[in-house]
Amino acid sequence: MNLLWAVSALLLSCWQASASTAPKIITEPNEVSNQTSAVLSCNLTETNLPIKGSHWMHNGKIIEDSKSSDTSPSTSLHLEKITHISGGKYECVFLTDPEAKQTIEVKTLPHVGAYKHSEHGNEKDKGVMVCVSHGYPLPTDWTWYKEEDGSQKPIINGTTDKYEIKSTPNNTTLTINDLSIENDIGDYVCSGTNELGTTNDKIHLRVRSRLAALWPFLGIVAEVIILVTIIFIYEKRRKPDEINDGSAPLKSNSNANHKDKNVRQRNSN
Amino acid sequence: MPPAAATKLGYTPPDGGWGWAVVFGAFISIGFSYAFPKSLTIYFKEIQEYFAVSYSQIAWVSSVMLASMYAGGPVSSILVNRYGSRPVVMVGGVMVCAAMVLASFGTTIIHLYLCVGVIGGFGLAFNLQPALTIIGTYFQVKRPMANGLAMTGSPVVLCTLAPLNQFLFDTFGWRGSFLILGSIVLNCCVAGSLMRPVNKAALAKPKAEPPECNGAAAEEAAGADTSAPSTNLLTEEHQSESQGCMGKFIDLSLFRHRGFLIYLTGNVVMFFGFFAPVVFLAPYAKHLGIDEYSAAFLLSIFALVDMFIRPATGLLGNTKLVRPRIQYFFSFAVSYNGVCHLLCPLADGYAGLVVYAVFFGLAFGMVSALLFEVLMDLVGAHRFSSAVGLVTIIECGPVLLGPPISGALVDIFGDYKYMYYACGVFMLVPGIFFFIMHYYNYKKLDEEHRQAMVVDMRTCEEAVELKTSQDDITVHETEG
Repeated sequence: MNLLWAVSALLLSCWQASASTAPKIITEPNEVSNQTSAVLSCNLTETNLPIKGSHWMHNGKIIEDSKSSDTSPSTSLHLEKITHISGGKYECVFLTDPEAKQTIEVKTLPHVGAYKHSEHGNEKDKGVMVCVSHGYPLPTDWTWYKEEDGSQKPIINGTTDKYEIKSTPNNTTLTINDLSIENDIGDYVCSGTNELGTTNDKIHLRVRSRLAALWPFLGIVAEVIILVTIIFIYEKRRKPDEINDGSAPLKSNSNANHKDKNVRQRNSN
Repeated sequence: MPPAAATKLGYTPPDGGWGWAVVFGAFISIGFSYAFPKSLTIYFKEIQEYFAVSYSQIAWVSSVMLASMYAGGPVSSILVNRYGSRPVVMVGGVMVCAAMVLASFGTTIIHLYLCVGVIGGFGLAFNLQPALTIIGTYFQVKRPMANGLAMTGSPVVLCTLAPLNQFLFDTFGWRGSFLILGSIVLNCCVAGSLMRPVNKAALAKPKAEPPECNGAAAEEAAGADTSAPSTNLLTEEHQSESQGCMGKFIDLSLFRHRGFLIYLTGNVVMFFGFFAPVVFLAPYAKHLGIDEYSAAFLLSIFALVDMFIRPATGLLGNTKLVRPRIQYFFSFAVSYNGVCHLLCPLADGYAGLVVYAVFFGLAFGMVSALLFEVLMDLVGAHRFSSAVGLVTIIECGPVLLGPPISGALVDIFGDYKYMYYACGVFMLVPGIFFFIMHYYNYKKLDEEHRQAMVVDMRTCEEAVELKTSQDDITVHETEG
C-alpha cells in the first residue's frame, strides 16, 4: 500500500514537473497604442530548456538586426519612432526546442492616402477615386465626404445611382456616375477609422467637357486640309512649266529652225 | 560594278529636286507607320483599368495593329502598282484617322481591336509601302542616302509622339487623346500629297541606238547600262507573260529571283531576334536593379543614337566604295547586331548597359536604314513594290512571334542572358548567311553581266557588218 502511494506520488510529481516545463513568456508591455516610441521586451520564464538564441519578427518577417545567439531568457526590441509602417504584430521568438514565441501588437492610427490627389473624369462618364490605407490595425470604417461651401457633406452609399462606394480594409473606391461639370467638380475627402482614431485625405476631381478635345481636333484637320490644298495648287501651277521643260529640247530646235528660217527669209528677201 | 538590277526603269530618276520633298513626305509616312503602334502603349494602363481587362488582352491591340500593318503589305503593293503611291498614302492617312476617331467612342475592347488594330493597321500599311516605293522612283544614284533619311522618320516621330502622348493623356484622357491623335495622323495625307508621281515622260532616256559598239564597255562602266542584264530582261518578259491574272497585280515571279530569296530567307530568321531586345531593354535594366527613370533613359540614348546613325548609314552606303557591294554592308550590320546581343550579358551595371545601348542603337539604326535599300538594290525599283509587299506579309510571323518567344525564354530561365544569347544567334546566323550567299550572288551576277556583254558585242559586230554591207550596196547602186 505504501509502495503504491509512493509510486503514484512519484508519477504525479513527474507529471507536474513536465507540465510546469511549458515555457511562459512575460511581455512588457502587452500592447502598444498611440505611442511615438516604445521598448518591447519578452522574458522567458518557467522553463529550463536550453535557449540557443532569440530574434524578433515583424508581421511574419524576421528582423535581421534582432537576431542574437545570446542564451539569456530575456530579449528586448527598441522602436524609436512608431509610424504606420513600423506598426503591426511583433513576435519575440526564443530558439528553444520547441520554439517559444509571444506576440505584442503595436497599434497606430491608420495612414490614409489617396491613390492620386488629382483625378479626372469625362462629362457624362464616370469618375473613380481611390484611397488606400497602410498600418495596423486597418480601418474598419470608411467614409466619403464632399466638400461644399467649407463643410463636409457625407456621401451615403446606395441611396442614389450616382454614388457607389466599395470598401475593403485596404482601400476604398468612390465611383461617381454621370459626371456633370456644374455639380461634381470639387474636393472629396476619404476618411478611415480604426479603434484608435480617424485619418483622412483629400482628392480634387476635375471634369472635362466632352467637347474639350474637339477643338484641337478640328484645328489640326483644318491645318491638314489647308496644307494639302496649297500643295495641290502649287503643283497645278507648276505643271504647265514642267511640260514646257520636257519639250525644251524641241523648243530650242524650233528656235534654231526659226533662226534658219529667218536667215533664209532674209536671204530670200 | 554597277548595282545589279540597275536601270530597267526606262527613264533617268531625278536624284534631287522635288525628290527631297518626296523624301520628307516618306519620312513622315514611315515615321507614323513604325512609331504609332509603339507610342499607343502609353494609354494601355488606363484603358486596361477602364475596360477591366487583363494586360495580355490590351497588349493584343498593339499586336493586331502590327499584324494588320504587315499583312496589308500585299494589298498595298497591288494598289500601288495600279494607282501609284500618292492616292494610296492619302487613303491610308484617312483610314487611320477614321480608325482613331471611331476608337475614341469605343465601348468595348473588341471595338478597339477592330478600329485601332485592323483598320488602323491597314491604314499604316497603306502608308509604309508606297512611301518606300516612291523613293525608288525618284532616286537612283543618291538612293541609299534618301532611304537612310526617310527611315530616320521612325525614331524622330517616336521621340516626338512619346511625350506628346503623355501630355495629351494628362490633359484629355484617353478618349480625347485618340481623337486628337486621329487628326495628327491625318498629316500623313499631307505627306501623301507631296508624293507627286515622277514625270517619266519628261525624264525619258533617249533611246540608245542598239548597241553603241565603240566604247560599249566604257559606257557600261559609267553605270548607264540599258543592255547590261538584257538576258534577265528577256527571261522576265517571258515570265510576266506566263503569270496570267495574278501577275498583273503582284509580281509573283519574284519567288524565282535569286537575290529576293536570299533576302527573304535571311530576314525571316533575323526578325525573330530583331525587335525583342528593344522591348526588353528597360525590363532588363530594372531586373539588374536600375531605377525606372534611368532605365527609361537607356531607351532615350538608344533612340538618339538610332536617329543619327540612319542618315549617316545612308551617306556611307552612297559612297563609291560601298554602293556596288552594299549587300556586304548590310550583312555586316546584321552580324554586328548579333555580336552586340551576344556580348550584352557581359555588361556590368549601368555604365555597361549605357555602352550596350549605344552600340545597339548603332546596330539597329544601320540595319533599319539599309533594310529596304538592299531590297531595292536586289530587285530593282520597278519590282520593288511587289517585293516589299511579299516580304512584309512573310515577315509578319517572326515579327509577331519574336517578343513573346523571348519573353517565354526569360520566364523559363528566369534570366535575361539566355534571351540575349538567342537573339544574338538569330541575328548572327543570318548575317553570316548573307555574307556567303551574296558573295555567291555577286559572282553569278558578274558572270551574267559578262555573258550579256559578250552577246551584245556579237550583235554589235553583226550590226556593223550589216551596215557596211548595206553601205556597199548603196555605193554600188549610186555608182551603178
